[in-house]
Amino acid sequence: MSDAILQKIRKTEFFKELSDAATSAVAENASVRHYVPNETVMRKGDPADSFFVILDGHLKIVTTDAKGDEIIINKVGPGEAIGELALVDDRPRSAGVIALDEVEVLELTKEAFFKLLEQRLDVSLGILRGFSNRLRFSTTYIEKVIDWSQKTAAGDYSFLEQTQPITNPAGSDDAKAAQLLSTFYSMVRKVKEREDDLKHELERLTFEIDQERRKREFDEITSTEFYANLKEQAKALRQKRNSK
Amino acid sequence: MAGKIVSIHSFRGGTGKSNTTANLASQVALTGKRVGVVDTDIQSPGIHVLFGLDEQKMGKTLNDFLHGKATIREVGFSVGDNPGDGEGLVKLAGKNLFLFPSSIKGGDISQILREGIDFNMLNEGLQTAITEFELDYLFIDTHPGLNEETLLSIATSDILIIILRPDSQDLQGTSVTVDIARSLDVPNLFLMVNKALPKYDFAGIKSDIEKQFQATVTSVLPLSFDMAENASKDLFSLRYPDHEWSVALKKVVPYILEAK
Ligand SMILES: Nc1ncnc2c1ncn2[C@@H]1O[C@H](COP(=O)(O)OP(=O)(O)OP(=O)(O)O)[C@@H](O)[C@H]1O
Ligand SMILES: [Mg+2]
Repeated sequence: MSDAILQKIRKTEFFKELSDAATSAVAENASVRHYVPNETVMRKGDPADSFFVILDGHLKIVTTDAKGDEIIINKVGPGEAIGELALVDDRPRSAGVIALDEVEVLELTKEAFFKLLEQRLDVSLGILRGFSNRLRFSTTYIEKVIDWSQKTAAGDYSFLEQTQPITNPAGSDDAKAAQLLSTFYSMVRKVKEREDDLKHELERLTFEIDQERRKREFDEITSTEFYANLKEQAKALRQKRNSK
Repeated sequence: MAGKIVSIHSFRGGTGKSNTTANLASQVALTGKRVGVVDTDIQSPGIHVLFGLDEQKMGKTLNDFLHGKATIREVGFSVGDNPGDGEGLVKLAGKNLFLFPSSIKGGDISQILREGIDFNMLNEGLQTAITEFELDYLFIDTHPGLNEETLLSIATSDILIIILRPDSQDLQGTSVTVDIARSLDVPNLFLMVNKALPKYDFAGIKSDIEKQFQATVTSVLPLSFDMAENASKDLFSLRYPDHEWSVALKKVVPYILEAK
């Protein structure tokens, strides 16, 4: 594997704690893949038999809402890893991944990954260090939810306008946290919709009549001689017609 | 029993009086009643267009009657005998529907504005129309606001239908008309909402306005592009009887037929 690729691997969050020798060992057991814009890298529900470290380009991590519309739960770029948690917890892919531009990734299969862990203590230690960093970063999600909750409570829905609910610099497809975020996001959107509906009703309920003006205008019309005559005539007319 | 005068009024212009009057009168005529329609919007007549009448087809007018140049019998134009060729209008063929149009000639309009209207004469004309044409209902399309001929039509009406848009400005203006109608002892007062944005809760609008005025809101008619596009050429509710606007308009008919 070329030096350029080794350089890129060393810059990734996942492998940055690895020594040069450990990095080379990883590179030897991995393969480089390329994707074109809009190409699907992973599908939700696929078996999780490998993970990726992004060397170049950007990808979106997507899921679908109750209506089947795509929700982008995250955008990831160079240095970030995708699908690595599924490797450990043995569950299928919890979200889809789609290339946004020309993408270069390093793919490490589950088998190769475990072999490396078994055979090279330096790799294992480096990755463990990486994971503990990640754990620290996953609090970003929690902080985000706290931030959104506070804003929602204050009636500030401006964050909904950013259709992408999160850009997490740590990069992550921490499935449950991401799901929490997207659920939270659509909940707030629904709350806002209901609130907007309610506003229409409030608009309707605020029909205000200026009673003073009403009386003034009524008096202006009824105080004329014309009106007094009209009232008399109307009364006479009604009596006449009723007697018919 | 003598025929009833049904006045259609609104505080602001362009609320839908002419379209409502023409469609309601036609719907009532379709039930077999004998119906007349008078355009007392002498300043800016318009309802004749909805019945397919143009300047050429128009014979004697209300203006001629008011100037002593024609009798009411001569002014009455039988829509049933001369239905226009609109898809909706043809349904009026053979019905007893008579239009008493106002002149659309500039000279006639300025003359009557200059000389004013003889109210006794107008009043007499309305009564004569009812007796000579044996009308069950005489609909009056009015000029917006509360000018003298409008006050007269309110004073003589048995049924007053005030049309309003669901906004505060219209409610304010309507409140005065409601008070006037009560002061003039109009026996049947109804409100009809037109041009309501479909996103609003129509039932809510109805109950809010009823509460404000302690008066019946017959129905709430939606603001509709179909209506804006197709009205004023033909009778919308006859042409598109299942349209939302038409369905809501037809809800007014029983209030008229059952009014005492
Ligand atoms: N519900 C509606 N949705 C959309 N357009 C409508 C609706 N009702 C009436 N209109 C349109 O609004 C305009 C005014 O209607 P119309 O002439 O019946 O009102 P008006 O109260 O008689 O007006 P004026 O005060 O000028 O006599 C017309 O172009 C008509 O087609
Ligand atoms: Mg009109």
